[in-house]
Amino acid sequence: MGFLRELYLRLRWLAGQSRFQSELADEIEFHIESRAEELESSGVPQAEALLRARREFGSRLKAAEDTAGAWQMQWLEDLASDLRYAARAFRRNPGFALTAISCLALGIGANTAIFNITTSFLFSQPSCRDSASLIAIWEGGNSGSSLEDFRFLRDAHVFVGMAGINPEREVNWRDGDRTRRFYAGTVTDDFFSTLDVPFLIGRGIAPGESNTAVLSYRVWRNTFAADPAIAGRKLVLEGRVYTIAGVLPADHRTVIGFGFSPDIYIPVASADDYVQFYARMPKGMTRSVARARLLSLFEQLDRIHPKEGWSRANRQTRVTGVTGPDLLQVEMPGAVVAFFAMLLIVVGLVLLIACANVSSLLLARASSRSRELAIRLSLGAGRRRIVRHLLAESLLLSVAGAVAGLAIDIACARGISNLALPVPVPIRLVVSPDWRLLWYSLAVVLASALLCGWLPALKAVGKDVNHALKQEERQTAPTWNLRSVLVAGQLAVSIVLLTTGFLFVHNLLRATSMNPGFDVRHTIWAYMRLVPDNYNDVDHVKQMSVVRTALERLRALPGVDSAAITQRVPFNDNCVIGTQLRADVSPAPIHLQYECNNVGPDYFRTIGIPLLEGREFTAADRQGSQPVAIVNETFARTVFGKTDPVGHTILTDFTHDKPKLIVGVVKDSKYFTLGEKQRLAVYDPYFAHGEPINLHFLIRTGGSPEALVKPITDALGRIDSTAAIETKPMSQALGLALLPSQAGAVMLGAMGILGLLLAAIGLYGVLLFSVSRRTREIGLRLALGATPSDVLRMVGRQSLVLVGGGMLAGLVLASLVMQPLALFLVPGLSTLDPTAVLAVIGVLGATALLASLAPAARALRIDPIEALRYE
Amino acid sequence: MPEDSPQLLPGTLYLLILRTLAAGPLHGYAIARRIKQCSADVLDVEEGSLYPALNRMLLKGWLRAEWGTSETNRKARFYRLTREGHKQLTAEAGEFDKLVNAIQLVMKTA
Repeated sequence: MGFLRELYLRLRWLAGQSRFQSELADEIEFHIESRAEELESSGVPQAEALLRARREFGSRLKAAEDTAGAWQMQWLEDLASDLRYAARAFRRNPGFALTAISCLALGIGANTAIFNITTSFLFSQPSCRDSASLIAIWEGGNSGSSLEDFRFLRDAHVFVGMAGINPEREVNWRDGDRTRRFYAGTVTDDFFSTLDVPFLIGRGIAPGESNTAVLSYRVWRNTFAADPAIAGRKLVLEGRVYTIAGVLPADHRTVIGFGFSPDIYIPVASADDYVQFYARMPKGMTRSVARARLLSLFEQLDRIHPKEGWSRANRQTRVTGVTGPDLLQVEMPGAVVAFFAMLLIVVGLVLLIACANVSSLLLARASSRSRELAIRLSLGAGRRRIVRHLLAESLLLSVAGAVAGLAIDIACARGISNLALPVPVPIRLVVSPDWRLLWYSLAVVLASALLCGWLPALKAVGKDVNHALKQEERQTAPTWNLRSVLVAGQLAVSIVLLTTGFLFVHNLLRATSMNPGFDVRHTIWAYMRLVPDNYNDVDHVKQMSVVRTALERLRALPGVDSAAITQRVPFNDNCVIGTQLRADVSPAPIHLQYECNNVGPDYFRTIGIPLLEGREFTAADRQGSQPVAIVNETFARTVFGKTDPVGHTILTDFTHDKPKLIVGVVKDSKYFTLGEKQRLAVYDPYFAHGEPINLHFLIRTGGSPEALVKPITDALGRIDSTAAIETKPMSQALGLALLPSQAGAVMLGAMGILGLLLAAIGLYGVLLFSVSRRTREIGLRLALGATPSDVLRMVGRQSLVLVGGGMLAGLVLASLVMQPLALFLVPGLSTLDPTAVLAVIGVLGATALLASLAPAARALRIDPIEALRYE
Repeated sequence: MPEDSPQLLPGTLYLLILRTLAAGPLHGYAIARRIKQCSADVLDVEEGSLYPALNRMLLKGWLRAEWGTSETNRKARFYRLTREGHKQLTAEAGEFDKLVNAIQLVMKTA
């Protein structure tokens, strides 16, 4: 308490220093004049009285200085003078300062960059007013619910405002004679006004409007050439005309979070659309109150519009915040969180290496300065004062490093912002430095200053002064002193980094060459998105005829071997069914989970999955005909054992399902990720079950697929000009599957190389230093008759102990730290991948060898006499 | 400044100032004069240490300073005891009595 008040008073004094000084001068003046008056009244003449009063007072300047001294914060001034002194020392030794600062800059830059990416992905703050009063509503635990329910909640007026969005829509945009596809968010007309989203140009969709649209900054810039007069322009979307109302700013972050950002926003069109519910709570309402109110509203809704076997007000019904850690309550794949956590740990390790580096540099400096420090100590400088002085040096280094590091970070952020990831969802990270980053960097700077400066400072003042004064520190054998421990520790940490990096690079190579179970080199994927309004018949007759025409034309193109339609393209979309399945070979149902897909005739031949038994689907397998299915090997083995499944039937426990006759067995393949365990799969005929709005055609070519991309797009475009068509070789479509290992390989590989670089610099510097300090000893040995090879062996042996110890510790550490990484690896690759381990040992060993032999060789060239004199 | 004025024991200046101000607010010059008068001209507070001491006491929260008008009708800075200052005075006065008694005991008996 007393301390706080004192601090407050001192700070107030600091703020009003000039006033204080003039007041003090007044006060002293008054004192002197009062004394003069007193003297005068006792009979001293006026002129003499004033002089005498002045003389009696003594030095006014000193009094003022002493008085001000009562208020000053000694430590602050000391810090300033320490920093000035350190800066002078660094200017005299720029090589040292530059090395240390660049080490720290790399470490701090990497840290803040990763921290920045992590926070903007996991904890981003949505761009809207007062996001703390916003909640996301999970009706019955679902992220989205019907527009009908939305209107009911809105009309109950429990909340200040409601906003609904379906962020996962697609729309076709007719651009001249081309049609392109946008990722769209369909929003309720009160979405933008409830959230109060800031705009770059124009405004949001206003209540009551049904034909206005809002563009993202990205689309405005890339597709509309950043036209400043865009508001009011007309767009044909899904065959309807929309007017552009506004453009969102570049740093807009959606309320959905995780970098999810649609290209364009349009009002919800159809009544059966599903939206995610957001609401703004009135002042003073808590989330638990909001939930209680919602539960009673949902109970009312259940009475008015009951849903079979399901209540809107169940245990899963909840409200969550839309900012910061609240976002993580949303079902977030644990792997993603783990990935970021691991990245943060890895860059933390990089920083640790950088600090160890700077620390050993400072240590080396301190020991060559030991005489200077000893003199200062013996002249009466306090030990604490010297420690503070040395810490000020490391603080200065860290701050300089942080400034350079933040520059690196900002450059990285520029590059990452709005980078399109190769995933089939519109995720764009808006990475920009914010206050969190500032705090984080501050913490990192202080931590690194302490880490770097602490050991050298303690070492510097821990010595016996007399000893240090009398003789230069002379190292006779590199015992396990502080520096060796630092080097060994650095080696250990960099082994962890390097093995992780190598592991991911290896994983990437393995994954790229891994067989997904189908042919990616000769297949093309053409995605044709129809406008739903143009095909609104219930029986899909019109769409099915489009599909048939398309297949006919595709097959007729020169160079095309075969073409097929499929509901889902492997690695981009999947559908897992869990059911009680009855096979006719056994009476008891078994619970199974399997992948499902609806595929057309020739699918297996086109994609290159071998047919093992039976036949493919034909045009005759359609609605109304005998229900049939094709299963994969693993399904056949799991359900039918050794029996041939062709000719047998299976039945799910879904209400309207009929027994399906198995007509074929195909070879196993991968469905969603390369690393997945082999799954069961059941294929149904497309023409019996398909929902043909998003048409995915697969085309098999004889030659290179690239040449056929354009002819295919043109052929499909002629069938329906309002359809958006995207055609690409299947190899590109594997992007999503390879993304984790690509990202991992790039990031961890880069960190590993950074770590190696730092560790190598540190190792080299320290070994160089310790060997060069032994010049005298080496000279002595040579003079006494040791051969150069004896000396080299001795130096080599000692380095070997050091490096070997560090490596061993590192390998043990790595094997522990890397256990959780198994999640990201392709099967057959263990976390302690021998290739990675061997590569790392090789690289570090070579560095160590070079670092210890070079100075030893230099020492050998020295004339023994000179070496003996060497001080 | 008389050459023979005895050195103050460390810390006693605070006590003297506190005691002097206990009667009511005074400006710096008046404090010095009062101490001199009360000690029958034995204790002469050096101006060079009076003002630093006053400021240290302000910092400790024992005193508050405000500008007022002096008896000669001029602007002067008046120092006043705070509640904390009163407390400090009681505590220090007790300590001081004990110390002086102890010293006298030693001087008389040893």
